[in-house]
Amino acid sequence: MKGSSSLVRSKEAVLLGILVFLVLLGGFLAVSYGSWSIEKQDVLRILLAKFGLYDGPIDKVESTIVWDGRMPRLVVGFLVGFSLAAAGAIMQGVFKNPMASPGVIGISSGAALGAVTALYLGLAARSLFVLPLFAILFALITLVMVFIIATSRGQTSVSTLLLAGIALNLIFGAMTSFVITMSTREFDAGRVIVTWLMGDLNNRSWEHVQIVLPTTVLGLMGTLFFLKDLNILMIGEETATNLGVNIRLARNMLLLASSIQTGGAIAVSGVIGFVGLLAPHMVRGLVGPDNRKLIPLAGLLGAVFVIYADLFVRLVVQVDLKIGVLTSLMGGPFFLYLIIRYRNRFEYL
Amino acid sequence: MKKGWAFLVMWMLLPAMACDKPVQEGATGSPTPPLDMEVLKKALSYARGRTPEERGWPRTIDYTYRIHDFRMDAFQEEKRTFEVKQRPMRIVPHAVGVAEILWAICPRERLIAFNDLSADPEFCVLAEEIQERDRTFKTKQTERIIAYEPDLVFTVFYSGAEFKEKLKQANIPYFDLGYFGTIESIRSLTLLLGRVIGEEGNAEALVELMDAKTRELNSKIPKDRSGVRVLYYDEGGYVPGRSSNFNSICEIIRAVNVGGEQGVKSWSQIDYETLLKWDPEIILVPEGSGLKEQVRSNQMLAHAGAVKEGKVFAVPGIYLRVASQYMILSANYLAGVVYEGVF
Repeated sequence: MKGSSSLVRSKEAVLLGILVFLVLLGGFLAVSYGSWSIEKQDVLRILLAKFGLYDGPIDKVESTIVWDGRMPRLVVGFLVGFSLAAAGAIMQGVFKNPMASPGVIGISSGAALGAVTALYLGLAARSLFVLPLFAILFALITLVMVFIIATSRGQTSVSTLLLAGIALNLIFGAMTSFVITMSTREFDAGRVIVTWLMGDLNNRSWEHVQIVLPTTVLGLMGTLFFLKDLNILMIGEETATNLGVNIRLARNMLLLASSIQTGGAIAVSGVIGFVGLLAPHMVRGLVGPDNRKLIPLAGLLGAVFVIYADLFVRLVVQVDLKIGVLTSLMGGPFFLYLIIRYRNRFEYL
Repeated sequence: MKKGWAFLVMWMLLPAMACDKPVQEGATGSPTPPLDMEVLKKALSYARGRTPEERGWPRTIDYTYRIHDFRMDAFQEEKRTFEVKQRPMRIVPHAVGVAEILWAICPRERLIAFNDLSADPEFCVLAEEIQERDRTFKTKQTERIIAYEPDLVFTVFYSGAEFKEKLKQANIPYFDLGYFGTIESIRSLTLLLGRVIGEEGNAEALVELMDAKTRELNSKIPKDRSGVRVLYYDEGGYVPGRSSNFNSICEIIRAVNVGGEQGVKSWSQIDYETLLKWDPEIILVPEGSGLKEQVRSNQMLAHAGAVKEGKVFAVPGIYLRVASQYMILSANYLAGVVYEGVF
């Protein structure tokens, strides 16, 4: 027994090591390559100088490109991937449903509707913060609506919550389509909206990091408080009640945390599909369902997905392929493969 | 529950709010173009040549239908034939560019309706004049078009197949026009429209006028200032390439469209790093997009020549979208922006 436990621990350590290595490698590639050719040693010097570890001469323009162009794009990609995957893991745990993701209870569609609305009204042009604010606000409003609908006499039913989420998804999807239809008249606005809905990390800056970093940290901290409760909740509500877990509080706070993470991620990147569904599944298959390990590792894998997907669309593909399209194109078939491969072995609990 | 209703009500009000969309930034002051804008617009709006012949009906029009493959930047052509039974007297254009050309070459009483974009000042130079006519339809309102009883509808390459099918079912003849967008294609289109409606003389006069105004505009541009590298940076980071109308406009004013220069074919999305690498002398952004402030305040772009020199200008969108003889008008306006202080 002791042997199997240490085996799992070493498996987790190896996975953590691989993921950290992939993040670092992807990160270095992301800051090293771009349309402006910069020598790798110069990139290193610039990075070292930014951390106060090098005081030799560096090119000002190259420094700005690396630090104000490529670096924030990388950090935003990392945080978006981490947030989406962590939120997906939480949702799957709360709903005890392997198909759950931030999209299921309408959070993603709500955030998308908020962003598209800001774009259509021309408000997004006023400040960099308006679009993310709309996305987060609409994500939270969606959460409140779902809870209002699913709560009766102080009790929130999980199945009603899911059904309400499906209904809101349809309504918000239709509203988003309506906004797109209206915006096609204005060709430029329509093109921006469609591009945004496909997920994009183009021209992300430190201001975007300022938006997504707090939502990621806030969501993660909220989750940390209830991680143990989430594990108990997954065994069953009766057991959880017997063990003194305030089910309603734990569930609501976890959903709030994942909504904040999702809203923040969608706000700065647009809709990037499958990360929230795929990353938790892959990690769960390797380290099991313990959320204390699952959530951070799934988050890291999500970050790896987004960083490499962005690298691919930016450097390899020479057409206007968007990151959200790529994650769906690659994630969808891979997810199907996983389902078929492990259909008899999917051990959820 | 109240919150839910409030959210729904707010969302329902969005279309109304959108109508009051504020303009975030001003245009590029008032540029001084080489030619007087009002006089030029007036000239390009009315072209009269030799008197049309009464004979020659029915007539068979052989023409080349061109579709532009934007990705490959190549034209696909096919020969088509169209029979016009008699001189069309009740004409409906289905696109803004076609309406603008017909306005200049066709007696206006023969133009019986226009699509709603033609009445929108964001899209059509003649919006004011067309609003006065009070005969507009939405692009897909086929029934309304049928009710006007036209004897010829000019459809374009992006008119829907179902729209054309409905016209066919209603026995309304439609003439399907291929791609137009560059100045050369607009010249050919003008001559073709003239043949179809029996106003060849007016069409030739308009083409001659376009050429004359292009020469006049060209002569005003100082030779030592030509070849200015101009980038049009649109919302979402899109830039037009060599197949775009912007490219043609740049050619008219002897400027270089940086997108086309760098190998962009139709439109392509670029990031700030690429923009910095291309380093245009002038950056044009659409008015009201907020891009002027974004570009000017971006730390990376602070190193771009255009930003350092204060050469980032917001231009009314209509001058960047036009695809008719009014491209000369756009070119004139942009010459005032690009060669600031010369005229």
